[in-house]
Amino acid sequence: MTFKDMRRGLGEFWSEFRKVKSGIVGLVLFAFFLILVIFEPLLVPFPEASSRWNDMAYWQDNPSGVPPAWMNAFTDQKRAISVRDENAHITENEITRGRMYEVVYSYDYQYDVAPRDMIFHLVGDGTAQVMLTMTSPDGINVILMRSTTVRLSEGINVRLSLDNDTRDNAFRFGTTHEDRAVSGRLTQQLIRPTDVYFSKAQFGIMNRPEALKGTYTFTAQVFFSSDQSRLDESFYVVAGRVSGFLGTDIRKRDIWSGIVAGTKWALLIGMLTALMAVGIGVIYGVMGAYLGGWKDALMQRIFEIFLSIPILPILIVLSAVFRPSIWILILLMSMFFWTGPVKTVRSIGLQIKEETFIEASKALGASSWRLIFKHMIPLLIPYSFASMALYIPQAIVFEASVSLLGLGDRTIVTWGQILQDAWRSGAVLNSQWWWVVPPGMFVAIMGMTFAFIGFAMDKILHPKLRTR
Amino acid sequence: MYWKYAVRRILNGILSYIIIIFILSALFNTVMEETARTQIEETVRGELMGIQQARQMTAEEIQNYYRERLDFFGKQYMLDRPVFERILFRTWNTLTFRFGRSTSIRSAQGERDVFTIVWEVVPRTVSLFTVAMAINIMIGLWLGIRKARKPGKTLDKSTSIATMIVFGMPAWWLGMMLIMLFSYTLRLFPSGGMVSTPPPTGIHYFLDMLYHMALPLMTLVLIGFWGSAFLTRNIVLSILQEDFIMSARARGLPERKVMYGHTLRTAAPPVVTMALLSLLATVAGSIIFEGIFSWPGLGNLYWVAVSQNDIPVLMGNLSLTVGLYISGLVILDLIYGFLDPRIKVGGRR
Amino acid sequence: MGKILEVQNLKLHYFTSKGIVRAVDDISFFLNEGETLGVVGESGCGKTTMAVALLKMPTPPGRIVGGQIIVDGQNIMSLNETVMRRKIRWEKISMVFQGAMNCLTPAYTIGRQMMETLQEHREMEKDEAMERIKKYLSYVGLSHDVIRRYPHELSGGMKQRVVIATALFLEPKVVICDEPTTALDVVVQAQIINLLKELKEKLKLSFIFITHDLATEAEVSDRIMVMYAGKIAEIGTNQQIYGEQGPMHPYTKRLLGATPRLHENVEELAFIKGTPPDLLMPPQGCRFHLRCPEVMDVCSKEEPPLEEIESDHMVACWRCRS
Repeated sequence: MTFKDMRRGLGEFWSEFRKVKSGIVGLVLFAFFLILVIFEPLLVPFPEASSRWNDMAYWQDNPSGVPPAWMNAFTDQKRAISVRDENAHITENEITRGRMYEVVYSYDYQYDVAPRDMIFHLVGDGTAQVMLTMTSPDGINVILMRSTTVRLSEGINVRLSLDNDTRDNAFRFGTTHEDRAVSGRLTQQLIRPTDVYFSKAQFGIMNRPEALKGTYTFTAQVFFSSDQSRLDESFYVVAGRVSGFLGTDIRKRDIWSGIVAGTKWALLIGMLTALMAVGIGVIYGVMGAYLGGWKDALMQRIFEIFLSIPILPILIVLSAVFRPSIWILILLMSMFFWTGPVKTVRSIGLQIKEETFIEASKALGASSWRLIFKHMIPLLIPYSFASMALYIPQAIVFEASVSLLGLGDRTIVTWGQILQDAWRSGAVLNSQWWWVVPPGMFVAIMGMTFAFIGFAMDKILHPKLRTR
Repeated sequence: MYWKYAVRRILNGILSYIIIIFILSALFNTVMEETARTQIEETVRGELMGIQQARQMTAEEIQNYYRERLDFFGKQYMLDRPVFERILFRTWNTLTFRFGRSTSIRSAQGERDVFTIVWEVVPRTVSLFTVAMAINIMIGLWLGIRKARKPGKTLDKSTSIATMIVFGMPAWWLGMMLIMLFSYTLRLFPSGGMVSTPPPTGIHYFLDMLYHMALPLMTLVLIGFWGSAFLTRNIVLSILQEDFIMSARARGLPERKVMYGHTLRTAAPPVVTMALLSLLATVAGSIIFEGIFSWPGLGNLYWVAVSQNDIPVLMGNLSLTVGLYISGLVILDLIYGFLDPRIKVGGRR
Repeated sequence: MGKILEVQNLKLHYFTSKGIVRAVDDISFFLNEGETLGVVGESGCGKTTMAVALLKMPTPPGRIVGGQIIVDGQNIMSLNETVMRRKIRWEKISMVFQGAMNCLTPAYTIGRQMMETLQEHREMEKDEAMERIKKYLSYVGLSHDVIRRYPHELSGGMKQRVVIATALFLEPKVVICDEPTTALDVVVQAQIINLLKELKEKLKLSFIFITHDLATEAEVSDRIMVMYAGKIAEIGTNQQIYGEQGPMHPYTKRLLGATPRLHENVEELAFIKGTPPDLLMPPQGCRFHLRCPEVMDVCSKEEPPLEEIESDHMVACWRCRS
């Protein structure tokens, strides 16, 4: 089997493969996943999702547990979308001692349902007093924060959150415009500041708010007592009621980022496990066929024992006891999956062994290894690939199953981990479908991808089952 | 001929079972012994408390008693013997279904005996999964034969695509989807459990169980029958191309007899293999599936045992699962041998 | 002795994705009652295709596109499947398949398969049917024990005999034997050939005997039909083809010449140069002309018709016409 033979073999294989439409669909899907993996940083709003999945700070500006942004297309009551605005206008005013900045932000609010939160970021150095006011579209001025002390320093980004930091003012603002009977029954805890601020100042502002659409202007007066301090930049983030491509989970993580981050792990887990399992299985089968005699019988016996082990329960117990990393898990899975191809490979191997060209090679003095690797294995390559393709979905589902039980590798993001969080947090109960559906769907789609590819290869290998 | 094959197969199965239990016992020996030690201490302390209620004991008396009893139990559980012996002892116990007592779980009657706990959940798993398998096989066979009759045409192609779509779909995820849809959104079916609380009596108990079985059954069937149909189709198709089928037609046999007699009868061994193997696979995956539906079966018990670190129940459950699994494989081979005349009757005279 | 089978202008084509393969292209012949017509030719010349055509069971993607088949005075071409199945197949025409090893369903006993076939065609009590089965098993030299056996328990020769018994027990008018002995070893071959000859005599059967083994052909056939590339090259009596005079068609001549004879000294094995034509695009004119050592101009332009050049001897060759 020379390189030229391989090239020609591949060429023939490819021309056959091309004819099977489902195989092509499979390849297209596979390409799609590859694109997700390769271009991950460009495709997601949170490129560090992989490494910082459990880092709360990375996600803190997101709303918790909200549906995807495109849901707005399906409802009359449009919900505010999460967005980040860097167009703050900073001006520095001359004062005698210290430094005084005025930062003006503008937010065009055209929704029916207010965002969860609005967070203003200040980046700079020094201790400052901040006063934050808001001018609504109908001209009402509201003081959001009267005199809050913040400490800015290199690397620390100060967040002023309407939801957390202006609750008292929001309550006061609300009660001034609300019917006493209603406001008497409410406390700070029960209202949402953003709901109050973005509504018309009228009766019902606190329990049945009506959205006030238009341009809102926010002004922050930042006063530093020291000349050395400075304000470098400022921006705000709106934590909407809908967010992102696939919404967020209860820990404010953007699910789309998570899904894309998980893609590479899925591919890795699937392909590596399948490769190792089929590799071991094929070599095992071929050696058994080649060696024959009592060695083969012994190998068969060992094989039968492995076959009798139900994989998932054992995997789960091992995972529970030993808490393996993902790599060990892949290894463990291969150690159980290898049994799959062995029976078929061994019977093919036995057939090949009987072929005269093997006898001829032996007569010419070929060594056993040469015979096995140069003659027998190349004939098994088509079958191996078809096998591998069909094992990949299984491996991915197994890892997802183990992760779902909470036994997976918590340092990485896999689709199974996302599902585990969803199940644990009662996403199913709360009908948070954007959290539950995508990870599983992606598992299913990746399974589908390799099913298409694998079955197409299978069709080529078994032309008898073709139908013209 | 056949009985020789059967006996050999059964012996093989038993041997495999023993070996696996041995390996498992060895692997989990340390963990299980810790549990045993803890349980012994509990028992002895219980005894001490009982005695102290009857009369007072001096500090020395307590200590002596404590040590004596620990030694006594230690000997009983062979904790003073070398490791290998302990492992053998444990293997033997497991093989004879003496699993010990659970640390945290009680059976429906409130017992702690692991065997009782495990044994009483087996029928629940078996009932769900065998019903699902039966439905899957029936639909799969019917569909597979229809596909094999007109291969490459619309039915065949479209169902093959559906097969590939569900190929990589985890059953438990589909379960989650259906729960969200049918239980929470449409409120048609219960979201979990096997019976309502409080459980009704008489015929209503049975109906109630069916009502709870509906969603998990639907999930299993939606995912399951495609594979059976696909495999049946392939098996039947390859048989239809055999010479003896053409020969049967040439002899003037009606198509009905050719298809359902000759073809199906020849297809029986591989089809049965496929059916049973798929059943075994689903049961192995039942741990999560039952968890999603809170179906109180073997899988669910396994998960509870793992999460509560209840090693005795875990080992008991695992042994039983492995036992069922191996039995399934052995039964499969026996049925296969019975259906395939080449094995049933043996070779040439 | 009339014609028990008459074939006129039979055409069977395979409609493949690569094109139309004209496997059997306008052939006409007849079979007299009580005789054996041997059909001989290279692999791929259309022998087996012709055989399945006679049963109207073309293998997909094949289809019969033309011609008439008249069995025992009845034209079966226009009959539908149900009638074919109930009245013609196995009743009027039966077949002993090539590779009979695989013609028995492995999951059923021999007895059951034979019984099933018998009862499908005849209204018979079980006992009566069993009697007939036993009778025919004896005819082919098998013990009644075979009834309880499964196919895999029998040797190749035994299976072949079962297939023959099954083909005969409805006492059909025409029995087609498609390479009945090719897969068997020489000793068994001889046994089967003798068996067939015996049965033909005893039961007054008419055979079509297809083979590529010329020696066997010579032994069993009364008349011989030589096929080439989907067409008939020559039909003649055993004496005319194998006798002193020898065949007329250049192909037949070379075919016979290529058979090594044990009792002669052979210096070099004669062979026919070239390969059989691709039936997707057969050559124009006579299909053999590219390999024919006696080719003439007209051979490449026009197809020679099958003509009688002497009594009972038909040849399709320009060179051979007087």
